[in-house]
Amino acid sequence: MAFIEAKGIGRVYPGGVVANDGVNLSVEKGEVHAVVGENGAGKSTLMKILFGIERPDAGTLTLDGQELHFSGPRDAIDAGIGMVFQHFSLVPSFSVYENVVLGSEPHASIKFDRKQAIERVAELSQRFRLNVDPLPPVRTLPVGQQQRVEILKALYRDARVLILDEPTAVLAPQEVAELFIAIRSLIEQGRTVIFIAHKLPEVLEISDTITVMRQGRSVGVVKARDVTEHELATLMVGREVALRVDRAPNTTGAEVCTVDNLHIVNARGHDVCRDLSLSVRSGEILGLVGVEGNGQAEVIEAIAGVRSVAGGAIRVDSTEIGTLSVLQRRGLGIASIPEDRIAEGLATGATVAENIVATRLTDSRYVRGGLLDLKSIRANAEKLIERFSVRVNGPAVPVGTLSGGNMQKVVVARELSEQPKLLLVSQPTRGVDLGATQFIWKTIASARDAGAAVLLSSADLGELLALSDRLLVFYRGKIVAAFRNRDDISPETLGTYMLGLKTQTADEMKAGLA
Amino acid sequence: MTDTAAPTPAAPAASAAGNMRPPSRWSLAGREIGRAVVALLVALVATLIIIFFVSKSPVEALGTLLTAPFSKVRTIGTWADEAAKLTVTGLAFGLVFQARQFALGVQGQVYLGALAATYVALSPIGSTPLGMPIAVLAAMVVGGIYGFLPGIAKAKLGANEIVSTLMLNYIAIEIVNYVILHGMAKAGLNYTDNFPATSMLPVLVDRTRIDLGLVFAIVAVLATWFALYRTSWGLKLRLVGHNPRFAEYAGIRSNVIMVSAMTVSGALGGLLGSMLVQGQAFGKLQVLFEGGFAFEGVLVAIVARNRPLAVPIVAMFYAYLRQGAQLMNIRTDVPAEVISVVAALIILLVASQFGLPAWIKRGVMRNRAGATR
Repeated sequence: MAFIEAKGIGRVYPGGVVANDGVNLSVEKGEVHAVVGENGAGKSTLMKILFGIERPDAGTLTLDGQELHFSGPRDAIDAGIGMVFQHFSLVPSFSVYENVVLGSEPHASIKFDRKQAIERVAELSQRFRLNVDPLPPVRTLPVGQQQRVEILKALYRDARVLILDEPTAVLAPQEVAELFIAIRSLIEQGRTVIFIAHKLPEVLEISDTITVMRQGRSVGVVKARDVTEHELATLMVGREVALRVDRAPNTTGAEVCTVDNLHIVNARGHDVCRDLSLSVRSGEILGLVGVEGNGQAEVIEAIAGVRSVAGGAIRVDSTEIGTLSVLQRRGLGIASIPEDRIAEGLATGATVAENIVATRLTDSRYVRGGLLDLKSIRANAEKLIERFSVRVNGPAVPVGTLSGGNMQKVVVARELSEQPKLLLVSQPTRGVDLGATQFIWKTIASARDAGAAVLLSSADLGELLALSDRLLVFYRGKIVAAFRNRDDISPETLGTYMLGLKTQTADEMKAGLA
Repeated sequence: MTDTAAPTPAAPAASAAGNMRPPSRWSLAGREIGRAVVALLVALVATLIIIFFVSKSPVEALGTLLTAPFSKVRTIGTWADEAAKLTVTGLAFGLVFQARQFALGVQGQVYLGALAATYVALSPIGSTPLGMPIAVLAAMVVGGIYGFLPGIAKAKLGANEIVSTLMLNYIAIEIVNYVILHGMAKAGLNYTDNFPATSMLPVLVDRTRIDLGLVFAIVAVLATWFALYRTSWGLKLRLVGHNPRFAEYAGIRSNVIMVSAMTVSGALGGLLGSMLVQGQAFGKLQVLFEGGFAFEGVLVAIVARNRPLAVPIVAMFYAYLRQGAQLMNIRTDVPAEVISVVAALIILLVASQFGLPAWIKRGVMRNRAGATR
């Protein structure tokens, strides 16, 4: 019998969504076991069941031959299961070691034994090659290190099994390499890792065995060494896929948007960027490359009008837009797909139709004399649902009940239902399945082919390389490198600039853009 | 993998839906109603237990609580009148709650609205046929202004609306007290002269308290529903309530929406003030006439999930319980305060979104999971 054995797991959410429907998972001791599948395939639900957050409605769960019945994560932790979520649960103002021991602090009589805590954390981080200083506050650490703190937290609680939920989504390529070193050292020391991921090359690199899930079921178990990326993708999606976009040859036109000496200050009064200049032309996709938090997202927000600017000029077609409202900017032909669809891109409690019409409440097709034309709002939503193949039971369904990919399609449908002049895109396919990713890429590319100027920011280098005509690399609010996108540009090249290890000279930058 | 020709990227829309059909609007509404009814039943069982402890004749007390409001035409009238007033305060709270503003200023709007209505009613205009409508309008305008103030303070200065509205409530109460005791009322009295009949809301059913206020309440329900679900203002308001950051992204000026929602809610608060003092129950302005009644709207709005069409239904149930408790207080040895326990329990149960115990749900789910396979 395998170390972890989940048999016939079923889970139906109160809303009636069948998230897991007879899922089998069998993980051997000391292996890296990847669980792959599109969004909505039920991976997260399965992991939540393994970690005791959700209770299965059917099926059995055994660990080391013992049947498990978790009534909460505490039970899972006691059984030796640890989980690192995509969104970290750390206290930013606490130090690394405080975060690690929080909840299970070592005691000297009734006092918190800090010395022992620091020693334990240092010892763990050395043993598992998770390099991180125990003393600084967590908020000062880069994302990659925060993730290590999360892993240490689980190891401190003696996790024999570690579940990592999309651990590479927020990391630069070099950080991914370091994470993989740590995972290998965990395996060497007899721990078991369950690795959930979207990016297939990474899955093939790190894992031994792969369970593929589709539509709430486990549809296959393969050995990583026996399978190609293409075979795996086909198994996941259930049909042939090609992650490639065909675009018309670059027919770059006039400059649509220019940013001059932009200065942005964040809420804490620190400079996000200063003296930043860039321009994007009609018919091109300009990719903004950078580890998250280096200013790319903020520049895009400033152009969209949702972030205030401390200085500099933003022009669209030689109109200064710095003082215009969001609505006026939209009126000039700016469309925007925000970074986080749930936080900014949608009102999840409102219906699909309401979300689609939300940016057009001054349009006389949908609103006349302050009254909603429900019929045409509904018809428009139905038309866009069809055109953007959103999988939904109708325009009156609350957006929050859709899967991530379909929610994103609703955002894309709203922003690209009419050809924009300037399209601002942040993380268009984060947490979106392969089928929807391909569709969204095509949609963005065809907006560009039809003459839109596109600014694209993404944490996924593959996406930037697949879509962009030009690439600008951001590091600490400055542009440190510029490239014309060619086949010889690799993620590793970009990575050295993203981490600030190299900076182009002004001449190099010019040459890169020529 | 890049050399494969791409088939159409979009699978047929039906394939994913399959048996994962999301619940219909009616079944969702049914669940909400079920939840409210269960909350009511749980609260009633708790009341029953309390009554058995405190009363010498618990069966009689309970009988009074559950049946007395419908025992006479007069008590039915009192119930309907109270339901109408609870509806208006429930609407006022529901409206700001939908915009995700926790403004609690209905009480202050009631007081100042009532004061405005009183000034009109006791002025020469009050004795003309226009007295009643002008007094009602004056109350709504003043209530609206009193709702606008905390709204604009939040938009311009960032003043927390919970704090500012609660403070404004005290200011309004004290202003009304002062005006009554120093000028409006005759020396030694804490209430004004009776309003002339032309300034009162006309009776609709003889020998009951049912007056034109009931019609106002019904109109207010329909108007609020229409404004929220059929106008672009209402859609903006709900979008701001769902997700203010998204609203900003979409180009909706959330501050304008917030201030206007608080103003309209204030006008409803003012209307309630006029319904109280111009209604058959009072017909004059009295110190502390409201007695905390406005805040009952919080309960009504929460249980109704801020839905204008659900507000009157909840208000009718709750008014029935309140009336039952009042009559139980008069006719038996159980104090009316028992109803506070019921109210608190209902709020607790509904606001915490309680669910059925896990073992019941598991049984239900097992059946359903079997059916979907």
